[in-house]
Amino acid sequence: MSGPAPHEPDIDPVTGYGTTGHEWNGIRELNTPFPRIVVAALVLTFAYSVVTWVLLPAWPVGRDYTRGLLGLDQQVVATERYRRLTEERADWTRPFASGDFPALAADSELMAHAMPAAARLFADNCAACHGSDGTGGPGFPSLADGTWLWDGAPEAIAETLRVGINSPHPDTRFGQMPAFGRDGMLQREDIAAVTDHVLALSSGQADPASAGAAIFADNCASCHGDDGAGGLGIGAPSLADDHWIYGGSRDAILTTLRDGRQGVMPSWEGRLDDAEINMLALYVAALSAAASTGGGQ
Amino acid sequence: MRPMLKLHYNLEKLSMGLVAAIILAASVGGIVEIAPLFTIDETVDVPADLRPQTPLELAGREIYLREGCYACHSQMVRSLADEIDRYGPYSLAAESAYDHPMLWGSKRTGPDLARLGGKYSDAWHVAHLVDPRAVVPESIMPAYPWLMRPLETGDMAAQLSTLARLGVPYTDAMIANAERDALAQSRPEGDDAAGIPDRYGEGVAVSAFDGDPARLTEMDALVAYLQSLGRLTGVAYGEGAGRETTEEAAR
Amino acid sequence: MIGTLSVPERRYGLALAILLSLLGLTMAAAARQGPMAVHGGMALVLGLLLAFALGGALYDSEPAPDRTGRYYDAPTRFGIAMALVWAMIGMGVGVWVSALLYWPEATPALPWTSFGRLRPVHTTGVIFGFGGNALIATSFHVMQRTSRARLADAVSPWAVLIGYNLFCVWAVSGYLMGSTQSKEYAEAEWYADLWLVVVWVAYLVLYLRTLARRNEPHIYVANWYYMAFILVVAMLHIVNNLALPVSLAGTKSFTIWSGVQDAMVQWWYGHNAVAFFLTAGFLGMLYYFLPVRSGRPIWSYRLSIVSFWGIVFFYIWVGSHHLHYTALPYWAQTLGMTFSVMLLVPSWASAGNAIATLNGAWHKVRDDATLRFMFVAAVFYGLSTFEGSFLAIRPVNSLSHYTDWTVGHVHSGTLGWVAMIIFGAIYTLVPQLSGRTAMAWPRAVEWHFWLAVAGTLVYVVAMWNAGITQGLMWRTYAENGALAYSFLQSVMAMAPYYLLRTIGGALFLTGAVICALNTWATMRGPVASAATSAAQADRPLAAVPAD
Ligand code: HEC
Ligand code: HEC
Ligand code: HEC
Ligand code: HEM
Ligand code: HEM
Ligand SMILES: [Ca+2]
Ligand SMILES: [Ca+2]
Ligand SMILES: [Cu+2]
Repeated sequence: MSGPAPHEPDIDPVTGYGTTGHEWNGIRELNTPFPRIVVAALVLTFAYSVVTWVLLPAWPVGRDYTRGLLGLDQQVVATERYRRLTEERADWTRPFASGDFPALAADSELMAHAMPAAARLFADNCAACHGSDGTGGPGFPSLADGTWLWDGAPEAIAETLRVGINSPHPDTRFGQMPAFGRDGMLQREDIAAVTDHVLALSSGQADPASAGAAIFADNCASCHGDDGAGGLGIGAPSLADDHWIYGGSRDAILTTLRDGRQGVMPSWEGRLDDAEINMLALYVAALSAAASTGGGQ
Repeated sequence: MRPMLKLHYNLEKLSMGLVAAIILAASVGGIVEIAPLFTIDETVDVPADLRPQTPLELAGREIYLREGCYACHSQMVRSLADEIDRYGPYSLAAESAYDHPMLWGSKRTGPDLARLGGKYSDAWHVAHLVDPRAVVPESIMPAYPWLMRPLETGDMAAQLSTLARLGVPYTDAMIANAERDALAQSRPEGDDAAGIPDRYGEGVAVSAFDGDPARLTEMDALVAYLQSLGRLTGVAYGEGAGRETTEEAAR
Repeated sequence: MIGTLSVPERRYGLALAILLSLLGLTMAAAARQGPMAVHGGMALVLGLLLAFALGGALYDSEPAPDRTGRYYDAPTRFGIAMALVWAMIGMGVGVWVSALLYWPEATPALPWTSFGRLRPVHTTGVIFGFGGNALIATSFHVMQRTSRARLADAVSPWAVLIGYNLFCVWAVSGYLMGSTQSKEYAEAEWYADLWLVVVWVAYLVLYLRTLARRNEPHIYVANWYYMAFILVVAMLHIVNNLALPVSLAGTKSFTIWSGVQDAMVQWWYGHNAVAFFLTAGFLGMLYYFLPVRSGRPIWSYRLSIVSFWGIVFFYIWVGSHHLHYTALPYWAQTLGMTFSVMLLVPSWASAGNAIATLNGAWHKVRDDATLRFMFVAAVFYGLSTFEGSFLAIRPVNSLSHYTDWTVGHVHSGTLGWVAMIIFGAIYTLVPQLSGRTAMAWPRAVEWHFWLAVAGTLVYVVAMWNAGITQGLMWRTYAENGALAYSFLQSVMAMAPYYLLRTIGGALFLTGAVICALNTWATMRGPVASAATSAAQADRPLAAVPAD
């Protein structure tokens, strides 16, 4: 290589340090001595690392690794922390596991602890379907309207949460609205007639002498009750109010009658523990109570 | 000049010397950290009950990749008490042993999905994916209305056998029936539905995921995948790893 | 461009263009449908266009015979232009996806416009498109100047740049069509990955051949960094992307790694994409343009040595800090954490060396927006590496991981450091490449500077707030000992920050657009007289044997 000979190192007037003598397209480098502070920082961070390696799991060795003097395992630590956490709140969570709802609801101090926690559980687990205020949405029933598919007593709600509705849980609650049209149980005209009757029921103008009423009595009353008010505890909703799961339009009702419905409520056993389920049951029960004192029907 | 400096002074004159030195310096860390992951027992143990994904779930996983769900959702419950509290048992390495690639994620714009399977109904997933704000008004998740289109199943057998070559335990029967199983899993009343538990175990959800057993859609696949999350093995729910019930903790 | 090639070089280029068309044709014919077919089509069209252009101009007048006595800068000009095109695309998409998180219902019902598909378009567009083109372009410039040698040949720089941009286009258009391996910063599918290997090897060979022709006995620090960038990125890219295609005629592949091993490999790659793409390469850029623009010698040669080897050695260990508290074994996390802390020392040594270099030139920093870009870049480099080492400590990471704090850290690095140093380099380089003493609109540089600084600060501060709020909301326990907030509450709390971030990003993007227009005006504008030509700033090329 025929490069120019290195320059004589010269002194940089600003810093007073010499240059290395090399030059690349005008760029030069100062031969500044190695700053002490960098050495100190290297030593310091290395010392920190060594201490950490000694204390914690760090270096792989063959088919194992150094465990560290503290003998920590992040999963054990997390499980332990979680256990402590549940222990710390056990004084107010444990009573809920008992499921003695009247006593629980009467204990206002206990409820003051539990209801905010239930609200968070509701928001993380239930609100996706039932809405953040529990008022439901298309396909998902309102829990705040005072009407129930199964039962609004906290015991019953807790059972619903535990096993779910039409869920894969072995003891699931089972509720099915048959597909009268698709399965050929009712003719098209009959469906239209009974739809009229259902619409009339909900607006309080049902005519017991109509064709629809007769069809209703034969086919529907066994589940929805003679007056269509539901409440038989078999998952069939009241049709005599203006709360709807799937919508109260003629089309929605026709679809329900033609194709049937089988809404799925997941089971929470295994995902939530008994105390959490019972807390939620009381929380849900209170949603309706709040709505009804607030002027709902 | 100190010897090290002198050494470097000479190294700077050799381009191939620099090349070699850089490669050497930049190799150590990777070798020390990656290689042992293939040998240390703790990291390579696969639980006996871990099942590979069904063809339909696998197709759903590819849609999950395609739409970039991993950009907003993690699938990794960290070993932290608050995460166990919110999401359930922390994730174990074994749970993603058959995941090529893993989808642990690096951002939680939406919640973690590692324990999602069984949390919601199929109908909810369909409603949510078609229009998240219809069911969760506060959501900022994008809508995926196009998922209602038919699912391509043409190369499922090839995909399974590729994965089998990479060590995922797909049997010849699974590969041979891949396409049929994909359809069958979305038709609970169909004739082939029994093949699913035979080949993949009882825990697999067989369901008309998108609500319409007559059509096999991308929605079927994605929902089947989402319902399988956290349910390929029970190890995470085993001793010591799970959420303890309040009663247990109180004891 | 073609005018700068001799007839034999044109023939050689023509042969390569025909090969590219054939490759494209083969891919399109084999795949018939899907992203691979589209990508084959793109390669075919590109190959044909290049072939026609070269064929049509094959026997046009040759460049001046004395060209071998000058540096070869045409590829650098092209690379800078491409970097700016990608800046518009990548940052434009960044602003758009940022807006989507505030107005989610703005997504049209078209698959390719949705957040999940566009996010990797943003990251690939800015990192590989904007950053990569800037790195390649400046590396060509720097290695010639610091070696006092012309590029080893005239065809391979074009092959590298065009091939590289084809990779970027394949990657980004693939995500839009839904083809992705989902590996962060390596989402492109197997055939694009293979193509990049070919391009990268050509780049490395060109680099080494040029260095071999150097007329300076010593290799300058900037070149150490560029070399580390090229070598290590090759290593990372190959290992991380090992995959088995389902069929050679199809897009889909499965990565050979799985589960916890895949996680470690991905973040070994992912972190070192940061280290060797977004850091080492740009330190090379800094080490050249900062002393050139400030007219000051590098403050300490010895510090350069230690920081270089520190960075090369330590960085590789730290990828596991992306996996704290996950199912990755604890021991690997400990190594990631401790090496991240040690890494701070060489990182700050580099930042300090750069800032100390400005001693004696502070008046220039005050007056010259270009130099100010580089100064701010060095400061943000120091800030983001400090933040990084801090975030790598496990308890801190337990709060920050998965949150927007990480995104804030990312953009303090990428906007504050990477983009700023690129702009500084562009404003130094473009006038020189255009034979002028200054940019066409010097005042616009000042505007750009303040837009960039304001945009970065708004973005980063908003995301710090967002991330810490998010992290705290997820883990806060109320007095009763139960979690205080639902996840959805944390989502709702993000809205104002996402809006602010969008505004900050828009400011930054505006600055980048101004830069692109200014560059365009400078490159197109009249050339100053030879006497004032900034090309004079270069040392003359040492006499070399004919090509
Ligand atoms: C996947 C959606 C979904 C989720 C999540 C969900 N539910 Fe439900 N829930 C339903 C559906 C659907 C029904 C009605 C089932 C039917 O139509 O037969 C229901 C019914 C109920 C009922 C019975 C109402 C009645 O009138 O008897 C209660 C109580 C209830 N849910 C509470 C909850 C609580 C508390 C949670 C959270 C722990 C929750 N739900 C989570 C979908 C859901
Ligand atoms: C086997 C019991 C059963 C019979 C018989 C039955 N239903 Fe139902 N019905 C149900 C159940 C259970 C539901 C709730 C389904 C759900 O929520 O998924 C339901 C829901 C409905 C709904 C939807 C209510 C809403 O809020 O959207 C309508 C309307 C309805 N039934 C009308 C009828 C009519 C009319 C008949 C007779 C032709 C009938 N049902 C017969 C059990 C029955
Ligand atoms: C822009 C970010 C974003 C993208 C992309 C995204 N999501 Fe979400 N996701 C969210 C947010 C925010 C929530 C919480 C609000 C809600 O429930 O919609 C959520 C919630 C969910 C939930 C409910 C989880 C739970 O436990 O409550 C599921 C399931 C889900 N997303 C699946 C997906 C799938 C599948 C995709 C891709 C096809 C996807 N997400 C893409 C942001 C996103
Ligand atoms: C000493 C130097 C640095 C260290 C130790 C460091 C460390 C970290 C840590 C701990 C994270 C968070 C990981 C997580 O929780 O998910 C992170 C993320 C990130 N950092 Fe840095 N950082 C450094 C410098 C930089 C610089 C200079 C840049 C950019 C130019 C950068 C770009 C990124 C990116 C892009 C991510 C996001 C990765 C992802 O999740 O997709 N880092 N870094
Ligand atoms: C106009 C300026 C920019 C805006 C508005 C912007 C916006 C965004 C947004 C919204 C995200 C997604 C964050 C999330 O998922 O929550 C993102 C991610 C990212 N951006 Fe940018 N960006 C900009 C510029 C850049 C530049 C110049 C670079 C690199 C040179 C860059 C690199 C990245 C990276 C690496 C990520 C991934 C971070 C991670 O995974 O944690 N961005 N950006
Ligand atoms: Ca279907
Ligand atoms: Ca790839
Ligand atoms: Cu990192």
